[in-house]
Amino acid sequence: MNVNFDLLVHSYANIFTLKVMFVVVVGVSAGIVIGALPGLTATMGVALLIPLTFGRPIVESLSMLMGIYTGAMYGGAISAILIRTPGTPAAAATILEGYPMCKKGLAGSAMSMSLFSSFIGGIIGCAIMIFMSPLVSRFALQFGPVEYFALAVFGLSVIISISGRSIVKGVMVGFFGLLLSSMGLDPISGFPRFTFGFSELMEGPNFIPTLIGLFAVSEVIANIEKMLKTQKVKAKLNQYLPSWSEIKRSTSALIKGSLIGTFVGAIPGAGGDIAAFIAYADTKRSSKTPELFGTGLVEGVAATESANNSCQGGAMIPLLSLGVPGDAVTAVLLGAFVIQGLQPGPLLYKEHIDLVYVIFSSMVVAQFVMQFVGMAGMRFFAKVIMIENSILMPMILVLSIIGSYAMRGSVFDVGLTILFGIAGFLLQRYDFPLSPILLALILGPMAESNLRRALVISSGHGSILVTRPIAVVLLVLAFTFLVLSFLTHKKIERRLAGMAVPDDDAALP
Amino acid sequence: MKHVDVISGVIGVLIGAYVLITCQSFPPDVVMKIGPAFFPEILAWGLVVFSALLILQALLGKVSGTFERLSLRQKGMQRVLLSVGVMIAYCAILKPVGFILATIPFIIIFMFLLGNRNKFQYLWVPMAITIGVYLVFEKVLVLSLPNGLLDFIL
Repeated sequence: MNVNFDLLVHSYANIFTLKVMFVVVVGVSAGIVIGALPGLTATMGVALLIPLTFGRPIVESLSMLMGIYTGAMYGGAISAILIRTPGTPAAAATILEGYPMCKKGLAGSAMSMSLFSSFIGGIIGCAIMIFMSPLVSRFALQFGPVEYFALAVFGLSVIISISGRSIVKGVMVGFFGLLLSSMGLDPISGFPRFTFGFSELMEGPNFIPTLIGLFAVSEVIANIEKMLKTQKVKAKLNQYLPSWSEIKRSTSALIKGSLIGTFVGAIPGAGGDIAAFIAYADTKRSSKTPELFGTGLVEGVAATESANNSCQGGAMIPLLSLGVPGDAVTAVLLGAFVIQGLQPGPLLYKEHIDLVYVIFSSMVVAQFVMQFVGMAGMRFFAKVIMIENSILMPMILVLSIIGSYAMRGSVFDVGLTILFGIAGFLLQRYDFPLSPILLALILGPMAESNLRRALVISSGHGSILVTRPIAVVLLVLAFTFLVLSFLTHKKIERRLAGMAVPDDDAALP
Repeated sequence: MKHVDVISGVIGVLIGAYVLITCQSFPPDVVMKIGPAFFPEILAWGLVVFSALLILQALLGKVSGTFERLSLRQKGMQRVLLSVGVMIAYCAILKPVGFILATIPFIIIFMFLLGNRNKFQYLWVPMAITIGVYLVFEKVLVLSLPNGLLDFIL
């Protein structure tokens, strides 16, 4: 057995203390709120809330981060169901059945099923993570510099191939992000590259301020430009758990959605939004009444929400075992772990196995906390999404700026946040995706240092990249993803557009 | 879309060219030929090639998606420019003036920019957000924020 059950039980003992449970509840609640608010993605939410973990003991910090992640992945369903606007991209597929259910007067049923499905998906994803992650890390011990370079390229190719409308633009921002990651001291010779004379750039652009700028400040600027109106929620929420008949009807969708989500999450670069759409399509295809999909079927909500939450467990597998993020949110978590002094990867299992099990157990506990907090606060969260933009946006800006400042007490970091905020706004306005930049910032140093190490081993011969079977498989897959995506992108867009709810509601921003 | 894609492509080419030129001044590695310029050069060439591809796509009319033209005459863009100016000013006065005294007017300005005309909310929202964030960071997280002109009180 590769699971250390003694350590697992011991880690639960570390979690079930007043302080740790308090921070998990705070993290889950804050995550749900951020996830529920349209325009604030789970990635942005996790980035904004990371400064809350500074200076805390490591068990508390890790538990809070897992709470935030869990809450944010569920929170998006609230606004998707109630106002047809996904709070996070991972909840985009939930609109397809969730909003029609709300229009039919079944908002309570949709909300309770989305929460229950998120819980079931999260638990299944965690279980698979606990059993698979140690196995993968043992396999990863065979990885050398060539394999890690190929893994970085693979992760980047996946995120590029699924981001945005144009592969060319996706590759351009990928290269741009990699160039950003090369700023600072060269990892091997220590030569300062592209620091423009700033000592603050010796380690490259600070990750959290850059991230907050790209994802949070850019959204605020976009909101200022468009002046979006806050929508009102009129639905009655009178159900906290789905009924037994609803659960029976959705059992197959719950299990398949959870497995699909975990598998998709484990692919570096692919996240909850992809998992949710695949699970929805699969549920529709295997249903006896596929023609009814889109009219408000509870099993549709079950499929999408179980998939996007089980994705968390899947995404943590490559993060913990290989040090490669499974999706954009785990890319941010990777930055948070590094700030806490942890380096995810196979060595994490050797040197900090106790903390790995803390992460496992805190994620499981966070699912239960999410279920209870979600039930207790359902009406409160529905009111939260009605906060006026003229109050919400300044609040996010202040949190963003202070969150960036608080890391090093540096006004330079605040300037960086604003600069990347402007860059992120312009990039998104002209159809350049932002997720490749995020992953490039994480994977760039890994790609460069491993490529150079590989070339040093081979005395400069590039042929080493094609002599290791695992690396070859990863590089071929990376190339295949990009080419297939280039050829089929338009077909996928048309298919997804065909699955969308008809635009008969004037309230949509 | 065509104009913007051409401009974006040109910017990409310029960034790539800047990196390639700068890399010429990087020292070669003493032990191996693979020095600090190696990886940035590969990336810069990649950026240049794909930027050129974008320009070509735009000129051949093979672009997807639509967007609104950026014009400084639009009220939206004027609000964006003003808000960026306010953010830069906030950044500049944050340390000397202090978090509390800088943040309250900052929030008021943004509430106004975002169309809030409820006078009652102007009385309590900026204070509530500022004090709330201050208490969370200073007292709960024990991360110090600049006191500035209020240093003698706080």
